[in-house]
Amino acid sequence: MDLLAHLAAFTATAEEVSFSRAADRLEIAQPLLSRRIKSLEAYFGGQLFDRSRRQVAVTEFGTSLLPYARDVLERAERLDQAARSARAARTRVVGVPAHCAPVALAGVLRAGTEHGTTLAVRELPPQQRQSGLSEGSLAYALLRVAPERATLRVPLGLAGARQLARRTLHLEDLRPPRGVAGLPILALEEDELPYAQDRLARAAARAGLPETLLRPAGPAAAALADTLAGRARLLCAEPFARQHGASWTPLADPSLHRGYEVGASESHGETGEVPQWLAEALAEVTR
Amino acid sequence: MKTEVADGIARDWDALGVRGSFLARNIDTGEDLGFAVDVPVPLASVVKVPLALVVLDRIAAGEFDPARPVTYVPPAGSPGPAGLAAFRHPATLAVGDLLLMMLSVSDNAAADLLLDLVPVPEVDERLRSWDCPDLRVRHRLHHMYACAAGACGNDFSLALELAVRDERTGRHTIETLDPAHASRGTAGALVSLLERVWRDEISDPAATAELRRLMGFQVFAHRMVSELRADSLRYSGKTGSFLHLRHEIGVVEADSGDRVALAALTRADRRASLAPDIDLAIGVAARRAFEALRS
Repeated sequence: MDLLAHLAAFTATAEEVSFSRAADRLEIAQPLLSRRIKSLEAYFGGQLFDRSRRQVAVTEFGTSLLPYARDVLERAERLDQAARSARAARTRVVGVPAHCAPVALAGVLRAGTEHGTTLAVRELPPQQRQSGLSEGSLAYALLRVAPERATLRVPLGLAGARQLARRTLHLEDLRPPRGVAGLPILALEEDELPYAQDRLARAAARAGLPETLLRPAGPAAAALADTLAGRARLLCAEPFARQHGASWTPLADPSLHRGYEVGASESHGETGEVPQWLAEALAEVTR
Repeated sequence: MKTEVADGIARDWDALGVRGSFLARNIDTGEDLGFAVDVPVPLASVVKVPLALVVLDRIAAGEFDPARPVTYVPPAGSPGPAGLAAFRHPATLAVGDLLLMMLSVSDNAAADLLLDLVPVPEVDERLRSWDCPDLRVRHRLHHMYACAAGACGNDFSLALELAVRDERTGRHTIETLDPAHASRGTAGALVSLLERVWRDEISDPAATAELRRLMGFQVFAHRMVSELRADSLRYSGKTGSFLHLRHEIGVVEADSGDRVALAALTRADRRASLAPDIDLAIGVAARRAFEALRS
């Protein structure tokens, strides 16, 4: 027996002095209300209402139980409130890619504050953002998806020591003169995803480049140093290259770019939905 | 930047002892780069491209059937290292396949059999009617070799000596090396022809489509396309090599949609029949031009 629902039927009927008005207030059908009163009477072992007169009246037995019933309901309500405010105060962690602009990340935190949600951001590699979301250590995350299905797209290009005299870069352009090994193309951890790596390797092979030229960048600082020294090309987004004084030319093939969507956790009482304000703030992060 | 690329190509060629013309044009944007684009040059086997278009134009007009059989009886035809020209026994082929032999392996005997069907003056006249004034077809392929043999007997190293010497003096002992008498063209005229073929703006769409298809079967990849070979690029072209002449025209098409028409017509100051460095220099020029002109 749902004791709280039954006690609510008891107190409402006592206050309204009418089964039908009490049913209206509780927004339930009157037969259901009557059944609840009857089962409560069976449970307590005595009549709560005198139904013999024109107007229903609380019995002496009922009157003696009424204050306790009200007390139980009030305490239950306070328990709900406490749970709600505890939920609101909890910090929700948002998984973001490495090397995001700090200003944009601050925008995410501020948007959270404005909407009564405490947020924190954590830089993680793409596969950990996905797993964090499913196991519940992250509430939201920027997830990598194929660019053609993505709501947010980030052009990928190659950073180098010298600016190329072209607007876009075709992989064919990178073929070294005959018999010479070309410069390695370094991929950051953010791009070490099976589908993205496979696409790039296939496109490189079709463009006449050895697939062994594609290598993991390892720590970003060392990869940037190699790039600025003219010993490698670094696959990255434009702000990252510019910020470190490298030149940058976008890849002409958009299927090799980064694609993102905002994901939300469905575990630990989260809804699995992304608030619009958060989606907008995270879109700024990818710019 | 385009001028820089053209100047760089001219400098590289000059360092190898190569003179000539070069033109590359983006078929869709019209941007181009090159040098000496209006200088008339003997076409050698590049002539097989306009010849094929005229034959395909006749086929498209229903004047003859591409399945029509033609019998070749050696050694009546032109000497050559491949195709019917190298055959030692009679063979019968359809007209459509003669075109394939002529464009894929530069078969001189196949070209001359096609010129039996459409004589030289008619080919020349059709080109004029298409407004290609800088393209002239003046003789059968066999005539190139006959002239060289006439000047030097069967010693082609002597013919090569003569060709290189004549290039320095400007007097032509071998008639088919003289732009005044040879089948000739300019880089500008050849690139315009390719452009019109690729845009279906000449002859009949059935003829231009078949010419594009057949040019894609060329087996020689050592020259224009030597630096542009990748699965993501397609090339359709035609070489022309005779004594000190090393030519090629063609179109590079990329998966990205970029299309560039190219013509390289060269004369080398070198007494050698094989010059892989010159072929490679033409390939490097093509690559630099393609990369500069693609979007």
